[in-house]
Amino acid sequence: MLPRRAWLAGGAVFAALPAIACAQGKSWPAQPIRLIVPFAPGGTTDLAARLVSQGLGDRLGQPVVVENRPGAGATLGAAQVAQAAPDGLTLIVSNIASHGIAPSLYRDLRYDPLRDFTHIALLIETPSVFVANQRFPPGDLGEVVRLSQEQPRGLDIASSGSGSSNHLLIVQFGQMTGARVNHVPYRGAGPAMTDGIADVVPMMSDSLPSAAGHLQAGAVRGMAVATAARHPAFSAVPTFRDQGVDLVSSSWFGISGPAGLPPAVAERLNREISTVLAEPGTQRRFAELGGLVRPLSPATYAEFIAGEVARWAPIVQASGARAD
Amino acid sequence: MDILGNLAHGFSVALSFNNLLFALVGALIGTAIGVLPGIGPVATISLLLPITFGQPATTAIIMLAGIYYGAQYGGSTTAILLNLPGEISSVVTTLEGYKMARNGRAGAALATSALSSFFAGTVATIVVAGSGPLLTSVALSFGPADYFSLMLLGLIISAVLAQGSVIKSIGMVVFGVALGLVGTDVQTGQQRFTFGIPELSDGISFVALAMGMFGIAEIILNLEKPEARSVLKTEVGSLWLTREEFRRATPSTLRGTLVGTVLGILPGGGAALSSFGSYMMERKVSKNRHLFGSGAIEGVAGPEAANNAAAQTSFIPLLTLGIPANAVMALMVGALIIQGIQPGPRMVEAQPDLFWGLIASMWIGNVMLLIINLPMIGMWVKLLQVPYKFLYPAILVFCCIGAYSVNNNVFDVYSTVIFAVFGYMCNKLKLEPAPMLIGFVLGPMMEEHLRRAMLLSRGDVMVFIERPISASMLAIGAIALAAMLLPNLRKGKEAALSG
Repeated sequence: MLPRRAWLAGGAVFAALPAIACAQGKSWPAQPIRLIVPFAPGGTTDLAARLVSQGLGDRLGQPVVVENRPGAGATLGAAQVAQAAPDGLTLIVSNIASHGIAPSLYRDLRYDPLRDFTHIALLIETPSVFVANQRFPPGDLGEVVRLSQEQPRGLDIASSGSGSSNHLLIVQFGQMTGARVNHVPYRGAGPAMTDGIADVVPMMSDSLPSAAGHLQAGAVRGMAVATAARHPAFSAVPTFRDQGVDLVSSSWFGISGPAGLPPAVAERLNREISTVLAEPGTQRRFAELGGLVRPLSPATYAEFIAGEVARWAPIVQASGARAD
Repeated sequence: MDILGNLAHGFSVALSFNNLLFALVGALIGTAIGVLPGIGPVATISLLLPITFGQPATTAIIMLAGIYYGAQYGGSTTAILLNLPGEISSVVTTLEGYKMARNGRAGAALATSALSSFFAGTVATIVVAGSGPLLTSVALSFGPADYFSLMLLGLIISAVLAQGSVIKSIGMVVFGVALGLVGTDVQTGQQRFTFGIPELSDGISFVALAMGMFGIAEIILNLEKPEARSVLKTEVGSLWLTREEFRRATPSTLRGTLVGTVLGILPGGGAALSSFGSYMMERKVSKNRHLFGSGAIEGVAGPEAANNAAAQTSFIPLLTLGIPANAVMALMVGALIIQGIQPGPRMVEAQPDLFWGLIASMWIGNVMLLIINLPMIGMWVKLLQVPYKFLYPAILVFCCIGAYSVNNNVFDVYSTVIFAVFGYMCNKLKLEPAPMLIGFVLGPMMEEHLRRAMLLSRGDVMVFIERPISASMLAIGAIALAAMLLPNLRKGKEAALSG
């Protein structure tokens, strides 16, 4: 039996080891990583985060634990990570709501989408789509615009919520075509789709992953998809551009950390995430979610987010949506 | 294929060793989390989601479904024993169930809950198998105006839940509605009554409200009475139902099953209405309506049957439309999408194994829950004999964990404390918390549907009268209100409520 003092000394050395290694920047991550998903479990963002977290955890040698922190249009989770220590152990799934739209939507946001974060990598983009009830007469967007102008209070179009990217796309569509729209917001895409199928509201703006099953089943008709070229899985649905409306728009989400993350850590995360994204298994699952994988370097992802913030500001203003 | 052939196919899928094992695991986990106050199926399923990635889709969904209805069963246990409802459906169970427990009939209340849930689950499973696709059209025929009128009817009748003054209970309903309106306005995105607190922007947490107002307030009340502090004074009594109790519970179970099966089909609010709809019905039509408020077994049997039936039929919108009726179903949709299956109208044809296997496993899950729960009643009842100085701190710890786990947010724990104090005050003032919770749940849904109906009708209120479903609901509501309020019909409050 070893003398007690030796045990203690040994223990102290052992306990100090990770700290020493950390100081040298060699063995990050020394502890499990928290990946904050600022939405409730079950959505596309949550599922994608859980998929990536498994592969990423294997590659980093530490578990990546997904933690749902929903609330206030994804801004609660983002504010939490903005204030976290930049040790690479707290990360967030940054997304179009918290980092693209919220800066224009919320007057007193507690974080800056660019200055308060170290952006690491983009995960997926999911295209936006307009769907219509099968009995809705117009065959293309031109007829939709004409019909909307004939109606005294405009055409009803549903979305998953006020201030959501789906809602703002309706606003942008109105700006670009002169269509008169009566926006009908819902509490999420599910109830909106129910009323679209039941013909309570004839048209709906949605994201492709959430509409995909209903499109495939013929429960609703695809009017226009906001991709540059037709989507391979939905080649029968024309793009906005096909119909003379230059509208290309996607929802997106990626991984970010608090501001001041060591560049080596950000680079390492970006590299490992890119590897996980390139794996055939991930590719297949992401394709099933309806998303397009688009690897970006940390710097390009930050530029991308800056572009999105600038893009949505005037549209949010025009929509009249406001969260004070 | 006919229904029997389909069901046989379903059972052949569900009875495979692997699927049976996962149904059992799901039912066990569900029961366990249901018994822990506040820890809901959503948090659990999201934690277990990655496990399902490696399983076949059918196995995954069978396990998740097992957790879902296991949690429903388990939730009733804490509602009966500790006055701690975990979700809206078990709020009603506390009304008579907890009283029964205090009368020494905890065993009977738990057995009633298990048996009537099993019966209702069996009937509802047959309904889902037989006419699921047909019933979808019923769900789709409900527009915003119809939902508004249904919710309004629910609110009017919720005054019946009051065991004291009708005026006080209407006041509590209205206060509940006001609390429900805190948060982001669906129509404009504006924050309402949030006082700059971001945590309030999605509203007050239901779990915090329910646990505070019921369970923790109850603990504070018991601490007032020094004689009650050591051990529950009343005898635990026989664990099983007496013949008399069985006879009284049977018709209530049948009625509750009917109410739950019908209301469960409606996506958005139907399931929430089912248990208290059944309670209200029992209070009106039961032969023993005078016993309500003092531990009537009818008030446990009916609502328990209704909420389990609704839990089963609420799968109909998910399976036939691909639209989740609540947060748990949304997680199941996620689990399916991860497996490359798009839930939707085509699922019945495209994934017969999944569809019929799930339906068969619903029934198997109900059998398992009965087998798990009936023998455990003795053990649960023993929980009441644990000295309060051990039991109460344990409950408080689990309540805090539960409140925190909903959003991973400490704010909800503070909310629970505030509502506990408020619940204690309400008890002292003889104000009933149940009508307030009904108002809290139905109020915001009612507002949402009202404003959507008005937005779609371009401000024309006639839409509520022109639509037959809506008009009928409003007519029933008007009659109920008149019966309660008209002086010549009112032969004292008791007669009006029970007549």
